[in-house]
Amino acid sequence: MAMNQARVGLLVAAAALVGLPALLHASHADAQPKQPDKAEADPKKGDAADPKKGDPADPKKGDQKVADPGGEPGGEPGGEAPGGEQPGGTDPGGAGGGLEELCAIDPDACKAVDLEKAAAREMNPEIYAVQQIYALRRLRFELNPYVGLGINDQFVSHPAIGLATNFYITNVIGVGLNGNFYFNSPSSFNFQTSRAARIGQSITEYQWNANANFLYVPVYGKFAGFSDFIFHYDIYILGGVGAISTRPIAVVDPDNRTFDWKPKVAFNAGVGLRIFFNRWFAVTAEMRDYIFPDELENQTIATGVDAATGQPNAQKPETWLADEVNWTNNVQAQLGISIFLPPSWEYRLPK
Amino acid sequence: MTLKHIGCKHNRNESMKAPRLRKQWRALALGAAAAATFLSVCLADQEASAQEIQLTGPLAGAPAVRKLRLHRDGRFEITPNVSFTLLDEYQRTIIPGLRAMYHFTDWFGLAVWGGYGLQYSTGLTDQLQEKAVDGRNCDGNPSAQECRLTAVNLGHGSLTDNQLAKWQWMVAPELHFIPFRGKLSLFSVLFVDTDVNFFVGPAIIGLQERVECGKDGDGNVIALKCDNQTSFTLDSRVTVAPTFGLGLNFYPTHIFGFGAEWRGMPFEWNTSGFDNFGGPPDGDFPDNAVNSQDREFKFNSMLTVNFIFRFPDLAVSD
Repeated sequence: MAMNQARVGLLVAAAALVGLPALLHASHADAQPKQPDKAEADPKKGDAADPKKGDPADPKKGDQKVADPGGEPGGEPGGEAPGGEQPGGTDPGGAGGGLEELCAIDPDACKAVDLEKAAAREMNPEIYAVQQIYALRRLRFELNPYVGLGINDQFVSHPAIGLATNFYITNVIGVGLNGNFYFNSPSSFNFQTSRAARIGQSITEYQWNANANFLYVPVYGKFAGFSDFIFHYDIYILGGVGAISTRPIAVVDPDNRTFDWKPKVAFNAGVGLRIFFNRWFAVTAEMRDYIFPDELENQTIATGVDAATGQPNAQKPETWLADEVNWTNNVQAQLGISIFLPPSWEYRLPK
Repeated sequence: MTLKHIGCKHNRNESMKAPRLRKQWRALALGAAAAATFLSVCLADQEASAQEIQLTGPLAGAPAVRKLRLHRDGRFEITPNVSFTLLDEYQRTIIPGLRAMYHFTDWFGLAVWGGYGLQYSTGLTDQLQEKAVDGRNCDGNPSAQECRLTAVNLGHGSLTDNQLAKWQWMVAPELHFIPFRGKLSLFSVLFVDTDVNFFVGPAIIGLQERVECGKDGDGNVIALKCDNQTSFTLDSRVTVAPTFGLGLNFYPTHIFGFGAEWRGMPFEWNTSGFDNFGGPPDGDFPDNAVNSQDREFKFNSMLTVNFIFRFPDLAVSD
């Protein structure tokens, strides 16, 4: 009986001896991002060691594998490990046992090379310059509600609310739609200038616009705030074509003139900054120039009377607009939030 | 599959030996209890793994940033720059300038910035000049209605030379704070160290504005009437205003960097030289006088392009 108990005790002790190191190892392994575990566990979802298939770490597609000789101070830590500026965690103190093992494996090398010296030299390991981009965009939708403010029209303010939806074909290229709904308010500056100089400036109000856009994201970076926390950002450029509905505000002859909304073709180009708070939520700041051929109020009032109808020429709508088309730039500052869907993804490579 | 799971499988393999000890129930019970304890440790470890990473992982206690190139700490800076005013009504200003700075730490520095303003007119000014001044020819036709109605506000010569206000020069001691430091990747090929700085300080600004006429700011009558063409001249004055802003800087080398900066500098001035305010009942109407009451608060702003030179060579943090 005592013998059997002793055997059971030994079995339990053996299980503990085998299991505990495994547990300790497992807790270290869990320090890796969770996504790579999934990728490794499911061969259908991607061979983690195959950079040709793996998109985020594929040098051709995004996470470029670039030697970083200087130990980039801002080296991409992969988001989860903000301390990853350098390939940290190396343990030079553990070289002793390792060297003996090396000598046992390859005695010739042990004779030819001063392994102590070689082990002590500064390493220049190959690391990923951009490791696991924190917020991938590829094959994700972006919803971007925002508020906008026209910043180059001193005579009429054009605050706007808008919504943009984008789909990223690759991590850096996307297509999308956006639209604005405008509110208009003539400024006091317009009133003062008109009163002081006795001159009417043709002004315009906007109703809505809608655009199809192409996006490119050439810049991705990160900042350490107070050397304590890290946030990621990107800078994108975009351009597109669409329509804008505008009409003149009657200033020169408001007694006779009223104008209807009329859509015009509009081109746009812009640049934006997106700061990620997590992998699916960001704030955006964007500067966009909407360029369109605008119709302005005629500065002169038609005189005389139509002989056929007896109607004053000043009341004829065809006399209300200026002859020439005026190309207008509506430079709009936009501030909004971005929500990326799906909110998560799986990395193809662990780094 | 993590090694943790393999560890648990080991335990199951070991516990499968227990049926061989069928006769020793007590021993089996002991083994099962040990296995259960071990499994519970496994499961508990799974549930608490995130916390364990923070406490015992290889990054525990590691700083957020290591081996940081200290682009500012203990370094002098000379920065030639060019500023471009934004949202101007009548005149745009280009300001060539220079900033000298010393960085006490990597996140704090003391600077002096100064510049001189060069003006050019906006489209609105060109239109006013063309239609309201040159087109009316009030010199030759002073009794025309539009000339009489605008006699106080529009001179007969050049608007830009005679009545539109302009920035002449400015000097500003500034405190600079640099809370954000990082790098960016351009096309995933070029990598550049960057930082974001905020600054604040008092600015001493030299302005030119239309001379006072009609009445001074306190309501005292002045001999110079505003419809007199000699009142369409500029006078210099100095004002003090807060200045603040933020910049984004890039450092392709240890010595040289470049950056863009937005600066706000709000103060009151009469940009047009018009008589807009001062009249009854509440001062919101013209009073046939141009003085300090016609100044209006403007949130003046500008964009600056900086070319940064720093010395001596930088250090690298731990």
